[in-house]
Order: sequence, then C-alpha cells, then structure tokens
Amino acid sequence: MIRIRSGAASALDNPQLQKNMSAVIRTALHSRDNSVAEVANWETLRQYAHDVKEHTLARLDSYLEQLEERVVEQGGKVVWVENGEEALSFITRLAHEKNMTKVVKSKTMLGEEIHLNKGLEAAHIEPVETDLGEYIIQLAKETPFHIIAPALHKSRQEVSDLFTEKVNMPPTDDVQQITATARRILRAHFLTARLGITGVNFGVAETGTLVVVENEGNARLSASVPEVHIALMGIEKVIPRAADLSVFLKLLTRSATGQKITSYVNFINGPRRPEELDGPAEFYLVLIDNGRSKILADSFLRQTLACIRCGACLNVCPVYQRIGGHAYGSTYPGPIGAILTPQLLSEEEAPEHPYASSLCGACYETCPVKIEIPHILLKLRERVQRKKNDKASHIPLEKWSMQIWGWGMSSSRRFAWFARLMRAAQGWFLKEKGSRIELPVLNGWTRHRDLPTIPKKSFREVFKPEEKGN
Amino acid sequence: MPEFPSYEDAASKFRDELEATGGIFFDARSSDELPEILSQILERTGTTEFYWESEEVFQKSAIPYRLRDPEAFSRQHLVFSYHFKGKVEFPLVLNFKPYDRATLAAVPVSVSRAPYGIAETGTIVHSVTPGTGRLLSVLPEAHVVLLSEKDLLMNSVEFLDRTQLGELGSALTLVTGPSRTADIEKTLVLGVHGPRQWYVVLTS
Repeated sequence: MIRIRSGAASALDNPQLQKNMSAVIRTALHSRDNSVAEVANWETLRQYAHDVKEHTLARLDSYLEQLEERVVEQGGKVVWVENGEEALSFITRLAHEKNMTKVVKSKTMLGEEIHLNKGLEAAHIEPVETDLGEYIIQLAKETPFHIIAPALHKSRQEVSDLFTEKVNMPPTDDVQQITATARRILRAHFLTARLGITGVNFGVAETGTLVVVENEGNARLSASVPEVHIALMGIEKVIPRAADLSVFLKLLTRSATGQKITSYVNFINGPRRPEELDGPAEFYLVLIDNGRSKILADSFLRQTLACIRCGACLNVCPVYQRIGGHAYGSTYPGPIGAILTPQLLSEEEAPEHPYASSLCGACYETCPVKIEIPHILLKLRERVQRKKNDKASHIPLEKWSMQIWGWGMSSSRRFAWFARLMRAAQGWFLKEKGSRIELPVLNGWTRHRDLPTIPKKSFREVFKPEEKGN
Repeated sequence: MPEFPSYEDAASKFRDELEATGGIFFDARSSDELPEILSQILERTGTTEFYWESEEVFQKSAIPYRLRDPEAFSRQHLVFSYHFKGKVEFPLVLNFKPYDRATLAAVPVSVSRAPYGIAETGTIVHSVTPGTGRLLSVLPEAHVVLLSEKDLLMNSVEFLDRTQLGELGSALTLVTGPSRTADIEKTLVLGVHGPRQWYVVLTS
C-alpha cells in the first residue's frame, strides 16, 4: 500500500526542499500563465482537445488497430502488451537476441511506470537516461519529482556536488558547465548504444506517426542513432487525425513550459527507408495497457486517460507545492497522480491519493484538456469509503458522528443545548493561556490551525437582556 | 477546427519568433548576399568547412557548385566545402567523405534546406528524404537552414494540411531554435544534445 502522509510530513520538515521548490514552481506558473494569456481562443482549443479525446477514448480499439495497420505498412512492428512485465520481457529478450548491453533512453513516464530501468539492470542491460533532468535523477538514484522537470527539487549546488561525486566534474555553480559535462558523457553513450528507447506523446492513427515532443534533442538522437528504436506508448495516447496535432501541441507546450512550441517535435514514421542514409534498421511500437483498459470501463472516470502529461496541474496545486513529487510515492504526482494512481493500481493500494487535495479546483482550471479532476477525486473518495464500509470490522464512526451532528443541528433547542455543552467541556482542552483549543482526537487539525475558544455567552444570551432594556 | 493566426508580414513574424528562441536570422532575399552571409556564419562558428545535407540544397537555393571529383561521387557520401580563411565564394567546390558515424560525429557545421518554415512559432520543418539522413542536422554544434520565402507558412495547421506525414520520409522534425534545457533551477542553457547555434537564412 502506498502512503502519502509520512512522505508529506518529511517534505514539509525539509527547509532546503521547500526553498528549492517554491522559487522554481513560481517561475513555472508565471511562464505558463503569460504564455496562455497570449492565446485569444485558449478556451476553444481546450474544449476542442477535450472533445477529440472523449471521442477517441470511446472508440479506442478501432483507432489503435488503425494505428497498428499504418505502422506496419511503414515497416514498423507493433507489440501489444498487457502490463509492465510483458513489456520488459519483450525488450530484454530482443536486446539479448541481438547482444545489446546498453540502452539510450529519452524521458518516458511510462518507462517509469513499468520500472523499466530496474528491469533492464536485472537483465544486465545498462539503461542510460539522456534527458538532463532524468540523468541527474539516475545519478542520484531517485525517482522523478515532476512529470516534465524530473530534477526540479535540486539546486545547482546539489547537482554540482552529485556530478563531482559520480562523474568527477570539478565543482561549479555554472549550469552551462554542468550541462556541457552531461553532453560530453551522453554523446559518447549515444555513439555506442545499439538500442534506443523513447516514449510517445501522440500516436496518429490516420498516418501511423509517433510524435515525441522535447527540447534537448536527446529523443531525436535516441530514435536516430541506434540500430533499433523502441517506442513505448500507453494505449490512451492515440489520436485520430494529424490535423489535430496543431491544437494538441499548442496546448501541451504552453501548459508544460510556457513555450510556443518546443525545440523539437519529432514525427517518426517507422524505421529507416531504403534510400535514407541512416536511422534505425528496426522500429518497434510497444502498446502498453497496464491498467488503462480497466479505467476505460467507467464512462465518467475514463476522462482521466485524456491527460497529455503537461504537468500544469502539479505546479498549480497547493498540495503539490508543499509536499512535492516524492511524497505521492508513485510515478505520477500531483492532482493527475491523485486520480491516476488509485485507478491504475487499485483504491486499496493507493487509498490516500484521492484525499491529497483541497478540492480547490485549480487543476481543472489549468488542465489543457479539461479533465474534471475535482469531481473524479470525489468519485474515488466515495469508492475508497465504500470499500471501507463493506469491511465487517468497520466501525462507522464517521457515519454516526454525522448522524448525531445532523440530529443536533436540525433543532434550535438541541443546537443551543450542544453549544452549552461544548462551552462547559472546552475547559478540559484549553491550553494554559486559554486562547485556543487543543483537541485530543482531532489534533491533526488543531496542531496546525487555531480553533478559537467558544465565548462565555452565546449571541442569543447577549442579545436578550438588551432587548428587554429597550 | 479552432482558428490559428495569420500574419501580414510572415517573414518578420518568423524572424521575431526565431530570435526569441535564441536562433539567428539572416535575410538573403535581395540576391547576391548569400556568400557574404555564409562567410559570417563561418566566422561565428570559428570553422572553415560546411557539410551540406544534399544536392537539393544547392539546386533549390540556386547555389552554383562543382564537384572536385565527379567520377568518384555517389549519393551515399557526406559532401563538404572547404573555405580558405573562412571566405565563402561561389561556385562552391565540393569534396566528400564517407557517411559514417565517426565522420558525422566530428562535423562542426552542417547546412540543410527546409521544405517549409512556420511563421507563428519561428519553426523549421526538417525532413529526411531519399539521399539524406537523420544525423547530419542534429549532431553538430551548429546548423544552418536555408529557407525560401515562398515556403514560409503561417502556422502548423497549414503545414499539416499540405503534408502527408509519412510520405516525406521516416523521420520529420519541427525544429524551433537551438537545443535547450531548463532542467536545473529552470535556468535556460542552450545546446544540450542538439546544435547550440541555430541559423536560418531566408532566401527569395
């Protein structure tokens, strides 16, 4: 079972982390907001993308088959796998057959989801992360802190120390120099690796094109230099038409980094063709389910799969802003992680995720494809609660207290009586100086917030004698 | 389909957007300036050789050239021109080397011709075609793109309308400015894995 509480508490108690996060997230929010404000028809674009995704998710099977057909026509191979283990066994078997001992990888959240690096290492294949942020995370033996900025939580000093320790770089606070070091090391890996793995942002059913969006050029290299390219794609990433890419790209890059477009948007149409001078001889598209078709079954919750992984909901979330990415204990953090994790796994495995939200709705406002995250959170809370209620050992404390509360509040006499009782009882809880109440049971609430004392007289009691006096 | 913007002066919109991403723009629309512009680019990169992606670059951009050894030439070669003291003169004299990984990895500056440019975002379309590869435009520290004004489109919708994605080749990339990252403290650094210097020369 994945717990959030303990991770959240330790993030809150880590002043360095809080400092690193707050400045960077502020910059990210600012870039996104400015960029979105430039687009007059942003709302129209959002709705359009939402509708396209909704249409597609309702007919996913036929679009996936169309995609497969087109990829095969272009000389690619398509592999359907049900879960991470199947994906891993396909990849490691292929690598072993061809005596490949190293993989250059560009950033893929799906790769994280199926624990690709661990699986490769276990099969004695060296995974090399080539996205700068992912490379940092790999050196530090951590997991990504953010969907699009994996090393967001590390200061330049921390990164420099890490490079000094792991790759013998002279200490520096010059980010250029750190980047140049990574370029030099990773270039050597690119030129020697025979297998490249990338993720996929969009798979276009109509043309069999796999779209990979990036800024550094590492995805372009991963898909071009090695003799075999494997693209990992979640089945929800298919879109019907190439024409719609304009809308999705605009929404994605502006939401993710505030860029009008990223440095590179790669369109991959299978392996190298006869007259081309380079490129992989073999191309494999691995279509991964890993719990997604289970989510499709519910016509409301299905929209969770419309996510284009821009990470905007993370930045805007008051919970993520405080507890950061690692506290979520799973691949996808933030609001999208809060709804995706319990659905990909199960409510029992991630029971706290739907509660890691204040339901303020900022995630919905910012989501470029209008996923109703707050409503989905409520629906998932309901599921978690239902499962709890079904257990024989369950004592319905919350239900009883709500019934008593309801009974008390539905009559003014009972309300007044309750208030008198509380006033008498608060003396037991008052702290020495007597200005706030500490509750013994609900101290998760009162530890961080002041619950003011109840005044000696109620409004009615104060009001009555004055009325008589007039 | 939601509306995408158009511009009265697409060339200047393209220039603004390209420069905003750290790309460098040259206007060679008024003919004879191309050798001078190419010389300037060589000076900026501190090199004396250009590696040309294909013969199409010369033909479609009307650059006069001759092969030093026409007999030995094939399309499988890596074509380059050497410029004494960094001065580019037409006609170009072309030499060639084998197209292999080690040679490619040592190329300092490459030149390609774009089938399209996109004004809205300052974007260049790079496409692999028969006789070209994926690596020559992405491995070097600097890359130069020649773009004809008539191939400048308003937005990506226009581009996708005109192109059947798979028909151009196995790989097509929309390139906007130099390679970049902001993975450390959101601080911008150019030239992570792809070219650090990104030049676009607009021709007539």
